[in-house]
Amino acid sequence: MVITGEALTEDTALVARTLRSGQKVRCAGNVLVLGDVNPGAEIIAGGCVVVLGTLRGVVHAGAGGDEAATVTALSLLPTQIRIASRITRPPDGQPAPDVYRPEVARLKDGEVVIEKYVVSK
Amino acid sequence: MGVVYVVTSGKGGVGKTTTTANIGAGLAKMGKQVAMLDTDIGLRNLDVVLGLENRIVYDVVDVVQGRCRLKQALIRDKRFENMYLLPAAQTKDKTAVTEAQMVELIGALKPDFDYVIIDCPAGIEHGFKNAIAGADKAIVVTAPEVSAVRDADRIIGLLEAHGFHDLQLIINRIRPRMVESGDMMSVDDMLEILAVELLGIVPDDDSIVTSTNRGEPAVLDASSRAGQAYRNITRRLCGEDVPLLELTEKEGFFSRLKTLLAGR
Repeated sequence: MVITGEALTEDTALVARTLRSGQKVRCAGNVLVLGDVNPGAEIIAGGCVVVLGTLRGVVHAGAGGDEAATVTALSLLPTQIRIASRITRPPDGQPAPDVYRPEVARLKDGEVVIEKYVVSK
Repeated sequence: MGVVYVVTSGKGGVGKTTTTANIGAGLAKMGKQVAMLDTDIGLRNLDVVLGLENRIVYDVVDVVQGRCRLKQALIRDKRFENMYLLPAAQTKDKTAVTEAQMVELIGALKPDFDYVIIDCPAGIEHGFKNAIAGADKAIVVTAPEVSAVRDADRIIGLLEAHGFHDLQLIINRIRPRMVESGDMMSVDDMLEILAVELLGIVPDDDSIVTSTNRGEPAVLDASSRAGQAYRNITRRLCGEDVPLLELTEKEGFFSRLKTLLAGR
C-alpha cells in the first residue's frame, strides 16, 4: 500500500500517522512523518526525511542521487538507511540501544554517519 | 442487532482459533446469544477446538451457495443452547466464498445474536479479506515474538486501511518468568510498537493444550490461568472494567522450600 501524504509545501509531503509494516511512502521531495515508522515500513524520498517519532523501518533519502539528503528522527533505530547510492545498517549482534534522542544520518566522505541532532544557527 | 468481531493476527499459530473459541464460550456462559463463524475454508479447526466436529452436516460454503438454509448449517453447542457454530468447509478453498457473500451472510446472522465472532485464517489474502468484510470490530491476537508482532503491525495497518478503528489487542502466550529475566518481549515493548488498545493478556498455559485437544474451551475451566484471562477478556468485551491479570505465578510450597534451602 503506497501512501502519498499531503503536500505541506511544494516539495515536502506530510504523513500525519504512524507507518506500519507493509506501508510505503514514495515522494519526489522531502517527507515529514508525524508518528513512528515501524519495522517493515518503507520511505523513499528524493529529498530529506524527518520522523517526529521513532524510526524503526527502512528509509531511503536522496533516492534520485542527492548526496546532501539527510534522515532525522527523534529516535533513530532503523532497519536500514539508504542515502543516495549508499546503504547502511546497524551493526550485527548489538541490540538496539534504548536511546531516545534526536539523531541525524548524513553522508560524509561517501559513508553514512549518524550524529546527535544539533540545531544549526 | 448484534456486534460482529473478527479475530485476526496475520501470522498463523498465535492463537486465533483458541481465542475465538474461548471468547465465544465465555460470552455464552455470561448468557449472551453467540454465533461463531469459521472462515478458514480448507483448514477448519474451530469445530475441533469446540468439540463439535462430529455434528457438522452443512458448512458456510453450502449456505452461501444456497445448498441449505442458514439455520440448517448452524450447529448448536453441546454445553450452551445460546451458542452456535457455522463451520468452514474442509473440501473447498478460500475462493469458494466472495466478500459480498460474506457481508450478506453476516447480515443474516446479526439480528439473531448478541455477538458474532469470526475466526479469520492466517495470511492477508482472500481469506483475510472475506473474514473482515462483514465485521464491525476487530480483535488482533499476537504473541511475544518479533515475527508475530511484525505481522500484527501489518494486519493493523490493513485493518485501518479498511476503515476499522478502535482495534483491540490480545497478547497471547506470555511467559512471566522469561519476561522478568529479559528473554521475552514485555507487554510494554509490544504496545510501544503496535500502539493500540490492550484488551487482555493471556499467559502461556499447558492446560490450553489439553483443553484444545479435548474440545473444551479453557474459559470453562475454573482452575485454568489462561481460562481466567479469557474470562476477564469476555467481561471487558461486555463493558466491565476488569484489571489485567497478575502475571507473576503464585509460588507453591515446594518451590518456596527449595528457594529457602538454596538461598541461605
